[in-house]
Amino acid sequence: MTEPNRRTPELEIVRDAATPRTESYWRFAWRRFRRHRLAMFGATVIIILVLGAILSPWLTPYNFSRQNRRHMFAAPSLSIPDDPRLVGKCVRPRVLWWRCGMHPFGTDDLGRDILTRVFHGGRVSLLVGFTAAFASTLLGSLVGALAGYWGGLLDAVVSRFIEIMLSIPQLPLLLILVGLLANPEVRLATILGDLLGGAKSIVIIIIVIIALSWMSTARLVRGQVLSLRQREFVEAARALGTPNRRIVFRHLLPNTASVIIVQATLMTGEAILIESGLSFLGLGIQPPAVSWGNMLSRAQGFLYYPNGVYIAFFPGLFILLTVLCANFVGDGLRDALDPRHHGRM
Amino acid sequence: MIAYLIRRFLQVIPTLFVVSLILYGLLALKPGDPIDELRRGNPGFTQADYERLRKFYGLDKPWFVRYWRWLGRAVRGDFGTSRQFGRPAAQYIFRFRFPNTLLLSGVSLLFAFFIAVPTGVISALHQHSLLDYTVTVVNFIGVSIPIFWLGIMLIFIFAVVFRGFLPAGGLTTPGITGTWPAIADRIRHLILPVAALSSLQLAQWTRFMRSSMLDVIKLDYVITARAKGLNERRITYHHALRNAILPLITLIGLNVPLLFSGAILTETVFNWPGMGRAIFDAILVNDFNVAMVSLVFISLLVLSFTLFADIMYAIVDPRIRYD
Repeated sequence: MTEPNRRTPELEIVRDAATPRTESYWRFAWRRFRRHRLAMFGATVIIILVLGAILSPWLTPYNFSRQNRRHMFAAPSLSIPDDPRLVGKCVRPRVLWWRCGMHPFGTDDLGRDILTRVFHGGRVSLLVGFTAAFASTLLGSLVGALAGYWGGLLDAVVSRFIEIMLSIPQLPLLLILVGLLANPEVRLATILGDLLGGAKSIVIIIIVIIALSWMSTARLVRGQVLSLRQREFVEAARALGTPNRRIVFRHLLPNTASVIIVQATLMTGEAILIESGLSFLGLGIQPPAVSWGNMLSRAQGFLYYPNGVYIAFFPGLFILLTVLCANFVGDGLRDALDPRHHGRM
Repeated sequence: MIAYLIRRFLQVIPTLFVVSLILYGLLALKPGDPIDELRRGNPGFTQADYERLRKFYGLDKPWFVRYWRWLGRAVRGDFGTSRQFGRPAAQYIFRFRFPNTLLLSGVSLLFAFFIAVPTGVISALHQHSLLDYTVTVVNFIGVSIPIFWLGIMLIFIFAVVFRGFLPAGGLTTPGITGTWPAIADRIRHLILPVAALSSLQLAQWTRFMRSSMLDVIKLDYVITARAKGLNERRITYHHALRNAILPLITLIGLNVPLLFSGAILTETVFNWPGMGRAIFDAILVNDFNVAMVSLVFISLLVLSFTLFADIMYAIVDPRIRYD
């Protein structure tokens, strides 16, 4: 707020939220976002991680589940062991400089290549993060907007429900829900199992995260809509006979877009953290699927082994990196989309 | 104000009722009951025994009937017996688990508070300095790091690399005698779990303190104080800090329950016999009574601290009106 160089040309664009957002608003936001160095860094890293996750089957010489009992707990290194038995079987002889037998992040307790598993784990972790964040923000925005706009009984019920749910400790609630959906004796769980097969644990985690995290978005959007609802442009729209649905979707929600986008970004990091926590406790993503969280679930036991720390170190580092970058991007978006907010954290 | 407080206070009771109903319903949906465990451990167990025991424990009734009975006893202070330990669930939680959690969370809270406030203030006073940027980036890391991974890395550094410089977990070392060595031992066991558990709150509160301080030092009365020629120290610590810290107190009030329930991961990593771990185990082995009493207790904490935060707000900021 005290940077004079950031003031002059933009100030006129600090427009009223009621003004319809023309293209120049988004272009202006993009310009501001690009200047936010941490956010640009975060966005770049996330794009690289997503590409790495998508392309993972072709990026490494190994299969992520290939075991090599002769070469367990290998230290991270770029050299290739002389003994061909230690090299083991590869899917392809080399990818760029990464040749078969090289373990840049070392190997785990079963002789699996950690870097390969980090790439593959990224698929699940990022998928869970993005899907859960997107869906929970969508759901939360809808419920929040409807409750805020219609008010009355709907609002009272939704608000009370959210208040009650938020007063229950979240992690135990997650544990109970996961336990319910993962238990083969529960009917819904068997249906999910038949439907999804091996991907079941991933979908369960996504569902459970959505079920518990739409509420904070709903509360946020409801608050925004409550204050927007009183504004002249909504009154004008109503006076013109605009149908309610159009007011909600054309006038109210677009004006909360900045809040919603920022919330979705921060929620991505949150969802990845929740997934990793649940998987660490052994209730999240189940093997043979890999995620950064479940790579960590047995890792603590190997701390005292020589080179055992790498099994825990690298997956956790990637969780930290991803969540950190998501938070950078969220911060940059907040500054870019809501210039009044600049400089606050 | 008084009417508002009374109303808010009375709202806690129905909320708690609904919370316990939801929790009981969810737990009851889980298949498996205590008798399954008995049957598994006993080859001579007949179907008739099964039916008889189900009737004896009231498990043949639908869950809302069981909830009603549970509630009837709970309001009289009887939370049932723990299936794992064969003692009253409330006694188990409050005598053996809650004190450990209180110690861990209480120390974490104090630690986070006393580090966050000065760091936030200094960071705000030197906005855009190298120090400020460092604090900001460290805060970002603090809110992004998985607590359990931080814990594992701390264990690796302090217990493995520096060969037992600090213990890797647990509450105490067995076999230590004497008051002072025992106290020192407890403190040594607290350092790593506190560092891990307080990281999130430390980062959040520092960030909050910084922005709150930044807001306050731009206000007219601070400029007036400066114009009168007061020295910077007095302005900062007497005029600005006192006003900047108030919103933080509210935030802390809202965060306290998080420290109690969010400790599951920390307690798991450090093998700390606290309430979070007790809840986790109870959910896994269907020890409903233990899970219920601890979860309802934490919900009560959340509700009380929210109420407390609102009251604090009203007391410190007379501009807020309730009606």
